[in-house]
Amino acid sequence: MTKTHRRTIRFKLNGRPAIAEIGTHETLVEVLRRDFSLFGARESCGQGLCGCCTALVNGTAVSGCLYLAAFVDGAEVLTVEGLGSGNELHPIQQSFIENCAFQCGFCTPGFILMTKELLDRHPHPTTDEIRHYLSGNLCRCAAYPDIVRAVKAIAER
Amino acid sequence: MRSFDLVEPATLDEAVALLDSQDKSVRAIAGGTALMLMMKTRLFQPTRLVSLRRVNGELRGIRMNGDGGLRIGAMTSLAELEYSPMLASAYPVMSQALRTLSNIRIRNVATLGGHLAHGDPHMDLPPILITLDAKVSAASKRGQRWIGVSDLFAGYYQTSLATDELITAVHVPSQPLGVCCWYEKFTARSADDWPTVGAAVWYSVHSNVITEARVAVSAATDRPMRIAAAEAALTNAPPTAQVFSKAADAAADEVQPISDLHGSASYKREMVRVHVRRALERALNLRSNGAG
Repeated sequence: MTKTHRRTIRFKLNGRPAIAEIGTHETLVEVLRRDFSLFGARESCGQGLCGCCTALVNGTAVSGCLYLAAFVDGAEVLTVEGLGSGNELHPIQQSFIENCAFQCGFCTPGFILMTKELLDRHPHPTTDEIRHYLSGNLCRCAAYPDIVRAVKAIAER
Repeated sequence: MRSFDLVEPATLDEAVALLDSQDKSVRAIAGGTALMLMMKTRLFQPTRLVSLRRVNGELRGIRMNGDGGLRIGAMTSLAELEYSPMLASAYPVMSQALRTLSNIRIRNVATLGGHLAHGDPHMDLPPILITLDAKVSAASKRGQRWIGVSDLFAGYYQTSLATDELITAVHVPSQPLGVCCWYEKFTARSADDWPTVGAAVWYSVHSNVITEARVAVSAATDRPMRIAAAEAALTNAPPTAQVFSKAADAAADEVQPISDLHGSASYKREMVRVHVRRALERALNLRSNGAG
């Protein structure tokens, strides 16, 4: 690999300045896991379909498996690990627990981050809006009704 | 994925200069959602990618032209389009199609320019843009030129863009009031799948006669294309179920479907028949409901 194939990226990660040495071909989810030990986002389908690798870049959800890490240079990245504060869970996380909105939990970080984008845009979504927003996230345990209930519960607070 | 040289020019001129007319392994990258899939499967192994994300100015934004049409910068994300009130009032058929195009994460990142330049026959917006008579402006070292969206697609994942040419904007003309417009997307496997057939229709009706019609089919064929036989069956005919059925038969006869994992060629031919007919009917119903 020649030198132009590597670079240093500087960005904000979960509110703190971050720096990483990356290959230009590496994806955001690879770098989050390898360089920052953030394992909430995980590559599952590898095609942007399932939502398990979701991260927020400048407030919008992206599939980390299809997003070049080089593109977050100068951006703000939020992963599920950066949602709560200290030992406090974020209200979305709390609601997912209270409503039993998962079984194995593999897809949960993605659902929670998509919910974050949804509520940022529509603080009081209808059931249709919730389903529309989350239709690109797959839960193989099929906890969908509980997920929708969890999102509704936060919106109704 | 193999490593490559990634360059991020700040201006369109620099971007164009970094492309290479002789080297197909040098390509522009916008959001990258489609290109990344190709690179991950090693269908495409670039030596250099020219990222457009730092190019500001003419590649950005949605604005109204002097003639009432919209000029959409090539780097406009599909999500920006989806949420654009200007788009929703000028071309509701596009806003509606965007809601079922892939998923929100992809729409947040994928751009209109990339959506067109990729040349994938399964994309949703090309057949619609063809029926709206849209054109793209393309830039290269040799200057700028216009290409009608109907002339942009040359074959399976092939476009009429030169290797060193970039789409800079899409121009969609203003549409006559009361025109009948619809896009019918048929997915055979799951709701969020790529379409097996996409059928876009556009026609105007005066005194119960169709005066002009455009019908475009995508996904079933190697590229999105207008279907002349269907358009001829509609023109100067009344907008009736019988005429729509005849036009749909003409479309099914004319298309050359290709088999893939979304359906066999013979299945797709039948689905073209069904969905062209439905698109024609729904376009009319929408108008009679006053929503078109």
